[in-house]
Amino acid sequence: MQASRARLFKEYKEVQREKVADPDIQLVCDDSNIFKWTALIKGPSETPFEGGVFQLAFSVPEQYPLQPPQVRFLTKIFHPNVHFKTGEICLDILKNAWSPAWTLQSVCRAIIALMAHPEPDSPLNCDSGNLLRSGDVRGYQSMAKMYTRLAAMPKKG
Amino acid sequence: MDDCISSDEDYYDSDRDSLHGLENEDSEIQWVPKGPATKVITKESLLAAQKEDMRRVMDLLSLREYHARTLLIHYRWDVEKLFAVLVEKGKSHLFATAGVTMIENRSNSSSEPSSMVMCDICMEEVHGNDATRVDCGHCFCNSCWTEHFIVKINEGQSRRIRCMAHKCNAICDEAVVRNLVSKRHPDLANKFDRFLLESYIEDNKRVKWCPSTPHCGNAIRVEDDEFCEVECSCGLQFCFSCLSEAHSPCSCLMWELWIKKCRDESETVNWITVHTKPCPKCHKPVEKNGGCNLVSCICGQAFCWLCGGATGREHTWSSISGHSCGRYKEESEQKAERAKRDLYRYMHYHNRYKAHTDSFKLESKLKESIQEKISISEERESMLRDFSWVNNGLSRLFRSRRVLSYSYPFAFYMFGDELFKDEMTEAEREIKQHLFEDQQQQLEANVEKLSKFLEEPFDQYTKDKVMEIRMQVINLSVITDTLCKKMYDCIENDLLGSLELGIHNIAPYKSKGIEKALELSACWNSKANTSDKYPPSDCGTSGGLSECERLTCLNSEENGCSSRKRARAEVVTGNFFDLNLPAEVVDRN
Ligand SMILES: [Zn+2]
Ligand SMILES: [Zn+2]
Ligand SMILES: [Zn+2]
Ligand SMILES: [Zn+2]
Ligand SMILES: [Zn+2]
Ligand SMILES: [Zn+2]
Ligand SMILES: [Zn+2]
Repeated sequence: MQASRARLFKEYKEVQREKVADPDIQLVCDDSNIFKWTALIKGPSETPFEGGVFQLAFSVPEQYPLQPPQVRFLTKIFHPNVHFKTGEICLDILKNAWSPAWTLQSVCRAIIALMAHPEPDSPLNCDSGNLLRSGDVRGYQSMAKMYTRLAAMPKKG
Repeated sequence: MDDCISSDEDYYDSDRDSLHGLENEDSEIQWVPKGPATKVITKESLLAAQKEDMRRVMDLLSLREYHARTLLIHYRWDVEKLFAVLVEKGKSHLFATAGVTMIENRSNSSSEPSSMVMCDICMEEVHGNDATRVDCGHCFCNSCWTEHFIVKINEGQSRRIRCMAHKCNAICDEAVVRNLVSKRHPDLANKFDRFLLESYIEDNKRVKWCPSTPHCGNAIRVEDDEFCEVECSCGLQFCFSCLSEAHSPCSCLMWELWIKKCRDESETVNWITVHTKPCPKCHKPVEKNGGCNLVSCICGQAFCWLCGGATGREHTWSSISGHSCGRYKEESEQKAERAKRDLYRYMHYHNRYKAHTDSFKLESKLKESIQEKISISEERESMLRDFSWVNNGLSRLFRSRRVLSYSYPFAFYMFGDELFKDEMTEAEREIKQHLFEDQQQQLEANVEKLSKFLEEPFDQYTKDKVMEIRMQVINLSVITDTLCKKMYDCIENDLLGSLELGIHNIAPYKSKGIEKALELSACWNSKANTSDKYPPSDCGTSGGLSECERLTCLNSEENGCSSRKRARAEVVTGNFFDLNLPAEVVDRN
């Protein structure tokens, strides 16, 4: 308990320093609860998510960093490894490949990498996974782009 | 010659084994002083057993102990498999998959203690003394390591605690784990050690806990065939494969189904209530046959099936004269007929199975009364001081009775629809069933005869009559042993063997009874030393051999047989010097 608090506090300070260094990630700790974080990440360029800003919710367990945080998308996203309704993410490092050496910041980076390189073979979103697996990259991209425009971009006017 | 026989009988009368019947090599293996291929591993010998396997790996690969353990845990303590992977894929593959990493230059880590180290987990700067670098080269602070180890041990992952660094597959040095954890939680460190030790049992397909309750604390290790039956040193006999009672010649699956069926006794009870009614006179259950509702009991009483009331014998199809219950209803269910047939079938087999199990229990009591008879006889007849044939016959009776009773559930499934309906044609099944039932009946007849002779009050008989009984018992022992062996052969080769379905395996027949596992000594020899020894009676010579001759013979036969496992040497009855043979036969030789 103390260890996780101390560690999260360290991460908090680290985040303040790195903000300038990594403009794609904006990690914010809940004012009243150090175990709740949110992040805003920018959709990686040259992907259907480019131009979008996606919100992630972190829920950190007391055994952190020995156990991984729970992360999900709050922003709707059309991606084979993200559950379309719940925003749940299928990413090995958030499950059995977790290592205490990861930080919330590096998890965000891993999620950005996942957005750019989907794993259609372990889909949480079957429609999206099937499009990719059947080789319909254009179909996938147009769907993903549409949702990015609808959900992850500031409304015009 | 007489002396020779009795001395030999003494020889076999040890409690390790008794009868020396017509053996295949298989069962002979247990007879040789080397002992059985199964071992009891006690709490005390567990460490030695584990060390033995680790030693082999450490010697071959010049590894430290915990690396050897890590490898062996990964390969489920299958040393042969581990060596095979080593040969096929090489050392680095072997190590990498198991999570063994060895940094060649560990020397640079020793320069750290004075300096400060940044721990990537808690993000604290700590003194080099308070951080630990493991074999893979990753270094974290002791407090983080300790937390990590505690979480993993509590998660039950003691056997595979990985390094904390991302994507590092390395298994942590158990000494580091033990050392750090014991500083904070000595109990947990002990738990960790126990987990590591018990991995030898839990992760090992050749080793299983004895299923006794309350648990005797032992585990049993088999050397090659996991389809076998063993006796733990606590006395429990069990099937190594499924851990239930020894049930051969039933396969594990058949036995499981049978147990379930028997437990579901309601089937039988239902049948009795649905298909029989108590006679109003003698109260025995009476079964209705045919559609007529006037039934009559063997006592002669007729009664109405519908209401159970006593009646006269005059009746028409729909009414019984002088009786008016009017509850006649056409019983027109083919379904019921079928269910009835199935149930009949089950009861047929179950009754016989039960009869033999019950006899077995009764005969176990015989053991005590027979000891009395022996001591009376021994005092009475100084001429016939040797009565080991009685005990030998008794052991044979128990073994054969066992085989007989388990042969019924076997037959129930072998020739029933439940398991092999599509495996055999109707005609094929019929032929096989006849073949099997023939053997079963022969065995049954001889077992009953043997039982009868052993129950005779031989302590009150004259010498001649005792000799007569002795001959019969010895004779019948040989016959039942042979028949049991034949039945197993038939099951394995002609029945199960023809199915091409690998799931039905039976433990091989052991003439000597279920093998008693020997306590594993702390320094037992590797099995390579024993595999080339051959049992004395492979010599196949007749007549009484001196121990010395036996040995010579043993040596000359050294290259005689190649397969010790389930070898099926065809043996000609008369060729062995066999204490079970009648004295006349032996004398003739
Ligand atoms: Zn640390
Ligand atoms: Zn490592
Ligand atoms: Zn036991
Ligand atoms: Zn079994
Ligand atoms: Zn009656
Ligand atoms: Zn009638
Ligand atoms: Zn009636």
